[in-house]
Formats: sequence, structure tokens, C-alpha cells
Amino acid sequence: MNRKAVSVMLSLSMAAGLLAGVPMTAGAEEVQEITWMFWDDLEASEDPITQGFAANIERFNADFEGKYHVTPITTTLEEYYTQLNALVAAGETPDVFIVSPGPNLTDYVAPGVVAPLDEYLEADGWKDTFSSDAVFTQQTYDGKIYAVPLNIAAACCYYNKDIFEEAGAEVPTTYEELLDACAKIKEAGYTPITISAGTAWCLSMLAGYLCDRSGVDLAAINAGDESWVQDKTIAAGEKLLELSQYFQETAAGDSNDDATMAFAMGDAAILIQGSWAIGQMNAYNPDIEEKCGVFQFPAIEGGGDPGRTIAKSDSLAVSATSKCPEGAVELIKYFTDDEAQKYTAEVGGKIPVTNVEFDLDVAPAQLADVMDVFSNATGTFGFYNESLVSSDAGSEFDNEMVAIFQQEKTPEEAFQAVEDWYAEEGYR
Amino acid sequence: MDKLLRDKKAIILFVAPALILFTVVLFIPIGTSFYYALCDYDKKTMTYHFIGLGNFIRLFKDKTMFIAFKNSMFFLVFSCVSQLIFGLLFAALLTNITKGRNLFKNVIYLPCVLSSAALGLLWAFLFHAKVGINNLLGAWGLPQPAWLYSTSGFITLPMWVIAFVALWQYVGQSMMLYMAQISGINKSLYEASYIDGATKKQAFRYITLPLVKPMIGTAMSLNAIGSLKFFDLIYSMLGDKTENLKMDVLATYLYRTGFSSKGGNHYGRASAIGVILVALCLIATAVINKIFKTENYEM
Amino acid sequence: MEKNKQPVRVSTVLIYVFFCFMMVLYLAPIAWIAMTSVKDRASIYKSPFGWPTEFHWENYAAAWTGGKLGIAMLNSLFVCGITLILTIVIGSMAAFAIARMKWKLSGAAMIYILIGMMIPVHCVLIPLFVRFANIGLNNNLWGLIIPYLTFSLPTCVFIMSGFFRSIPNELLESACMDGCTIYQIFFKICFPLARTGLFVTGLMTFIGNWNELLLALVFVSDANKKTLPVALTKFVTPYQTNYDKMFPAIMIAIIPTIIVYSLFSNQIVDGLTTGAVKG
Repeated sequence: MNRKAVSVMLSLSMAAGLLAGVPMTAGAEEVQEITWMFWDDLEASEDPITQGFAANIERFNADFEGKYHVTPITTTLEEYYTQLNALVAAGETPDVFIVSPGPNLTDYVAPGVVAPLDEYLEADGWKDTFSSDAVFTQQTYDGKIYAVPLNIAAACCYYNKDIFEEAGAEVPTTYEELLDACAKIKEAGYTPITISAGTAWCLSMLAGYLCDRSGVDLAAINAGDESWVQDKTIAAGEKLLELSQYFQETAAGDSNDDATMAFAMGDAAILIQGSWAIGQMNAYNPDIEEKCGVFQFPAIEGGGDPGRTIAKSDSLAVSATSKCPEGAVELIKYFTDDEAQKYTAEVGGKIPVTNVEFDLDVAPAQLADVMDVFSNATGTFGFYNESLVSSDAGSEFDNEMVAIFQQEKTPEEAFQAVEDWYAEEGYR
Repeated sequence: MDKLLRDKKAIILFVAPALILFTVVLFIPIGTSFYYALCDYDKKTMTYHFIGLGNFIRLFKDKTMFIAFKNSMFFLVFSCVSQLIFGLLFAALLTNITKGRNLFKNVIYLPCVLSSAALGLLWAFLFHAKVGINNLLGAWGLPQPAWLYSTSGFITLPMWVIAFVALWQYVGQSMMLYMAQISGINKSLYEASYIDGATKKQAFRYITLPLVKPMIGTAMSLNAIGSLKFFDLIYSMLGDKTENLKMDVLATYLYRTGFSSKGGNHYGRASAIGVILVALCLIATAVINKIFKTENYEM
Repeated sequence: MEKNKQPVRVSTVLIYVFFCFMMVLYLAPIAWIAMTSVKDRASIYKSPFGWPTEFHWENYAAAWTGGKLGIAMLNSLFVCGITLILTIVIGSMAAFAIARMKWKLSGAAMIYILIGMMIPVHCVLIPLFVRFANIGLNNNLWGLIIPYLTFSLPTCVFIMSGFFRSIPNELLESACMDGCTIYQIFFKICFPLARTGLFVTGLMTFIGNWNELLLALVFVSDANKKTLPVALTKFVTPYQTNYDKMFPAIMIAIIPTIIVYSLFSNQIVDGLTTGAVKG
């Protein structure tokens, strides 16, 4: 082997190693580094919310040039908490990171990984810019707020007006009417409901709605006062099974994306999904924007309050060990200021958390309907899989719902399995 | 000369880097892995508590573990058998032709050097529920099978699909090994047999097969370990859908138990799966060697 | 006239027919990706097998920038390059000492290293991940290089020791007469003599690590440090599937390998088997 070539290669690779290993710090002695961790790639993503976040960071870096500098750490949603936990374990908790309210946030509040933010929220009237104090409900522990919500997504039923008209179906307000509409749509040769059981949380969201509408008291079940095996949950499971005859044939394997696309392309009449799906469906087929209507998930007679909506918010938390909490808070403000919130509504298709004025005509047509549903809602609840005792419990719930759908288990057996899981993990 | 080759200092200098790396990056972590396998990892406090065989008992009762084990065993058996048959067939046929032999063997070996992640994406698209092959079948009015999402049967359709994709990708490896062995067989053996009136079939049965046998052991061990490690293809074809489609193999289950946001971070239980995986690798290799390495012909 | 010619046997024809069919089975999917990679999203769905009506070369640019393939490729090159060099140097030193030098434990050392061939990387994944997270080696390309190097060594030692054994004794003896030290014998005589082996192991190591997914997936989360296979899997997520970017990305990922392979396929294929048979 040519020795010269080897030595050149060696020195080249060493130089490359040095470059890769040493961060660019030239002339940046006074600049304070803020790390910000997120679950999607800022540049590659086509999700408008992610793109908006990237713009917020850019604005922040430009405005605070010479003072603060934000370095994003991004992963995929799938690996997010693993990577975050690895950083926490290594004592390198990111200064600011995104976290889902619910058991995930609890995991960081309990061991004191995240700092309470009330002091910062009270200062300069920051908290007053938010639409109500209620937006902080899921982020509050013992009266202290540990994370700042950035947006709200509400899960609704989207329907294709053209197909409904063609099939002679009415927009349903009760479960019976929903079945009736589905039957008519099926008769007309369309898929009544498009859903993903391949991506389990989509099916689980429908199951969550059915449980809530049946009047299931989740808090009582989590606390151990009630069992998962009860008439209300089983009724919900049976309705899930009943509805599954109206799903698209390929539901078992379809991803979330496939399911949304079937709706966007006009193959299916109803899509039950979070409001983030608006941007997605409009990207697939701009024509859908005009044809798409929105309705609140139908009521179940003799069940629970039919006005409740599933809502989910992205929230940012600040590390308790951050060397620069002021900078971290300044950064979060760039996600809740008017520009960012306006973007959230107009482009991102999510409900803003502040009282920002925005142009409904610019926003996707469906957003106005979603906000209508949301403002008429009598209350909100989280995704079932994010509202149980732990994230593992949520995963167990998801899987059992898929088992009902695949007819591997009867609803009784499935909810018994969740109950058994609670018992085995010591929550009973 | 002898003195030079016995130079202790040189020997240590030559071997030390490799052995140190092996010890630090492989054998100590294996030990740690065995220890973790006996521990419960507490996500909240990020500490390990010794719980004895608790993880194994739990896995033994776990239905996903059963599915993963079943699927891994299926891939193991399928890959060993199919690679033996097709690898040997390709090799035997290729040694019978001269023109184009190199081209054929190089093309068949090609997928072995390509990224499974990339090829998996390709096949996932081809076997997609609506686009891909089903698009063609639909256009011809044929039924559209649920290639990648059927969950019925003990061995589900997606298992067969992925097993065949794996065969397509890796059969070149076995073929190459068998070809090398066959082309090493002395030509005079065949000539002698033909003079004695043997047919080609007989020559294959009584000369090629026995002489290739030691290589079957080697190739099969490689297949067995490869199929127990099976991860890339299944991950890139099914992503996070493996669990609900009952398509987990040991490697994907380990990955999810250890690292997924959904039901992950159980380092103890994931290590236990890892330990089971190592045990299976060692057992499979031992069994295969026992079967195929018993007799060795002088070539 | 015809009788003088070797008659074309039916079986031979059948073999050729069979292998032509195999060629289609192996090359068609790759040709098909190439074709699909220039289609827009709508026509990928509508006619996945049709000839592209328009050529959307911008798909490649979109995939390259959107998927950060440039950075991913540099990362992969860096990781695989360093691993390659280190594997060859460390591996062949160990192989030489084990194959040619005389010490009691050489057999044991060989077995110790060969066990590594049987151990799947999965079972050290968690301890390594935990350890690396503690010492800041996760999210660091060196955190990939170290395990890659370790898992590439057994094959390297295995193949190289075969090559070193085949070097005739006389050669070493005459070098010894000339007053060479053991280091000179290794670096000036044996190392260059085994270059076929080095080339083969080098290529195999490089290709193997170039395609590695699991470790890269687990150990690196920073978008700017992802390797190529990981970057590829990001085109399909539960939230969206960008087929119009995914196919060009697959092309970008496999074309370099295909080029290298078609240049050296005979050496790779032969070398691989020589190594395996010798061992």
C-alpha cells in the first residue's frame, strides 16, 4: 500500500475529526448557548408547525445575536423521550425542551428535572397574553406551572360534504345517526370512515372518544376507585367494534398518513383526527378545503357529556439546572408572541393559546369550523393514552384497542387485560 | 527468525489494541448486559434494582415476546432452509455455464452490499396496500392481498413477504460461499465419475454435495446469526407498526422495549431479551456445527 | 458441419433462461426506483409502474436538502472512513501476531476474537448506550466509530490471518537475514503483500458499516450527525410519507455503493469467499 496515500488519508481524517469534534466558538465568548430539544427535524419536516418553530428560533437567534444562541437538538417522535432521558442522565438536560402534558411531563416534574415557571409568567404580564388560565391546567402541579403550552389541537370529525350529499346522509349528532350516515355512505359506494389501526394511537383516539361519550370516569379508574371492566367501557368497546365494519378495508395496515390521504382524495367520507390533519389533507389535495366540514364527535344516549373535546397541546419546559433560565424563558416567549401564534392559526392550523388577532380567511377553511367546535365545547380531555397512570399504560391501552378491532379479543377480554396490567404494575 | 517471532513486546503491541477494544466494548458490556437483565430499571430515578429472574419470568408470560420469538424462529428456519436450497441451486447451475457466469453472480450478489434500510423502503412501497403491486393487480381486476398487514394465521402473510425479500437480498452470500467450495473441487473427480457412467445428477449427489457439506455449516451459521439479528429490513418496511401487526422479531422488540418512546426505556427487560438473543445465537451455531461439521473430506 | 459443433444442450438453455429471469428479478426493482425517482407525488400514486411523463429532477435537490443527505453522507463517510483505517491497522496487526508469531495464547486470542462474530450487536446495545450517554459519547460520531470498529475486527482478523498464513516462510526468513526488525517485517513486507486481503476486508468493513442502521439509530439523535441509513428512514414517519423525496434519496444512497461495487465486484466477491474458505 502506498504509504504517502495512507498518511495523507490519516491526516485528512484526523483534521476532519478535529473539525467535527470542536464546535465553532470563534468570537463567541460572551454568547450564552441555549439548547432546545424537539421531536421533529426542523429543516426536513413538512409539518407547518415544525416549520413555524424553526422560524421562531431563527428570529430569536437574530434578535439576540451576541447575547444568546439557540442550538436545536432534534430527534424523531419515536425516540424522543429515550434521547431526552439519556441527556438528563448525563447531566446535560436541554435548557428548553418540548414535552407532552400528562404522564410524560409528570416524569420530569416528580424528580425535579424541570423548573416551575410562575415567577416568569407573572412578570411583564406574560401570563395575561394567554387566552385563559385554563390553558395551563394540564401543566400545573400543586399550583405551580411547569410548562408553557404553545398551541392547542382539537380532535374532531371531518366529513366530505359532497359524499354526504350524494349519499343523502345527515351530519350526525348522536351515535345512532352516525351509524345511519355510515350505512348510507357505504350504500353509495364510499368508505364511510377512514382510520389508521397500523398507527395505534389513531384508533385509540376514537376509542377514547367512545369511552368518554359512554360516560367513563377515567380519573376514578386511574385512582383505582373503579375497574376498567365495567358496563361503560365495554359498551364503548362494542361500539368500536360496531364502527369498524365501516372502516376502509386496509385500516389494519394503513398508517396515519394513508388514512388522511384517503379522506383528502375523496375516497372516504369521515376522518376522525386532530386538527393537525388539516394542513396535511390540504397539502394532498387543495380541493378538499372547500368540501370539508367539521362536526363534534356524536353523543351517546344515556352516556357522558357530549360537549367534551379531545385536546392536545405542545408545551415547552425549562430545565431546573439551566445555566441561563432567563434566556430560556425569552426563547419560550418567541413561541407565544403574536407573530408565532398568528402563524400557528393561519398556517399551522392549530388553535392559538393567546388572544392574538388573526385572519380567519388566511387560515385553512376548516380551522374556523374546528374553532367553532372547540369554543362550543363544554370541556376538554387528553388523549386516553396520554392520560393514564404512565406512558406504558397508554401503550397497553392502545394495543388492547387494536386487539378489539382485530377481533382477537372481545371488549370484556381487552379491558380485563388493561385492568390486569394495572394490577400487575401495582396501580391497584 | 524464531527469536523475532517470539518477541513478547511486539506481540503485545500488535495484539493489545484489538484485545483491549474487545474487552472494553464487547465483553464487559456483555457482562453488564447480563447484570441489567437481572435488574429492574426505574425510569423515574434512573436506577437499577436487582430483581433476579423477574425480567425473564415476565418475558416468558409476555405475549409479544412469544410472537417475537415465534417470528424470529420462523426467520431462522426459513432463512437456513431457503438459503441452502437456493444458494446451492444457484451455485450448482452457475458452475455449469461459463459465459455470463460472472455477470450473473455479481448481479445476484449486488443486494448484499446495498443498504437494507433503502431496499426495505422500496419493498414496503411495492407491497403497499394500495399503490405498488396492488395498484397493478387492481387494474387487472385481481384480488389485492394484504401483503404487509394481514394478521391472520400462525405465520402471517407479511412474515412470508419479508422472509422472501430477505431471501432475495441475501441469497447471493450463500451462493458465493457454495460456488467457492464447488469450484475448489478437483475436476478430475467429476471426469472420473463421468467415465464410470455417472449422470450429472448423480455427480451432484455423490461428489458435490458431500464435498460442499462443511461449507453448508459455515453458510448456515452465518444465515442463522443473520436472521436472529434481523432488524434493518423489518424496521424500514414496517417502522413502528410491528407491534400491532404482530410482526415483532426479537431485535425489534428489544429496540422498542429499550428505546422507543412508546413503552420504552425498560433497560432491564431489553437486556434480558439481548441475553436470550445471544443464547439463541450460540445454540444455533452449536447445533448447526454439530450437524454439518462432523465429517470432513479431504479435497 | 453442424456435427462438429458442440450441440447446445437443452439444459444449458434452460439455465440461461432461468438466470435471465433472475436478472430481471434483481435489476428491475432498482431500475424501477430510478424511474420513479423523477416522478411527482401524484403520478407515483396514480401510475407507479408507468414511464414518467415529466422528469422532475428537482426531486433530487429536494431530497438532498430536505433530507439533509449531504451532511448524512459526510457523516457516513467520516464514520466509515475512520473505522476502515483503524480496523485495517488494528485488525491486521492482531491477525499477524496470531497467525505468524509464536506465543502460547495465540489460539486462545483467536477464539476470543472469533466469539465476537457470533455475538449480535443488540446485546451490548443497552450497556453501551447507557455508558456512552454517561461519558458524552452519544450524539457523537466517535460513539459510532468505536462499536463499529469493534464489530468489524473479527471478520478482519479472520480474513487477514488467512492471508498472512499464506505468505511463504522463506520470505520472512530472508527478510530476517537482511536484519529487518519484526516491525519492518510486518509493515514493509507482510502488510503490503496482503493488500488483496486488505482491500477486501476494507471494502467489506466499509460497506457493512455504511449500511448499518440499528446502532446509528440509537446512538445519534442530532439531525446534523445522522448517518445515511438513518436519514433514509426519516422519509417514512407515522405522520407523513414523502415518496417523491424518498425515491431520489434511495437512489442517492445506493448509487455510490453500486458504482464501487461494479468497479470492484470481482475482487469483492472473490476476496470475500477466499477469506471465508481459508478460515
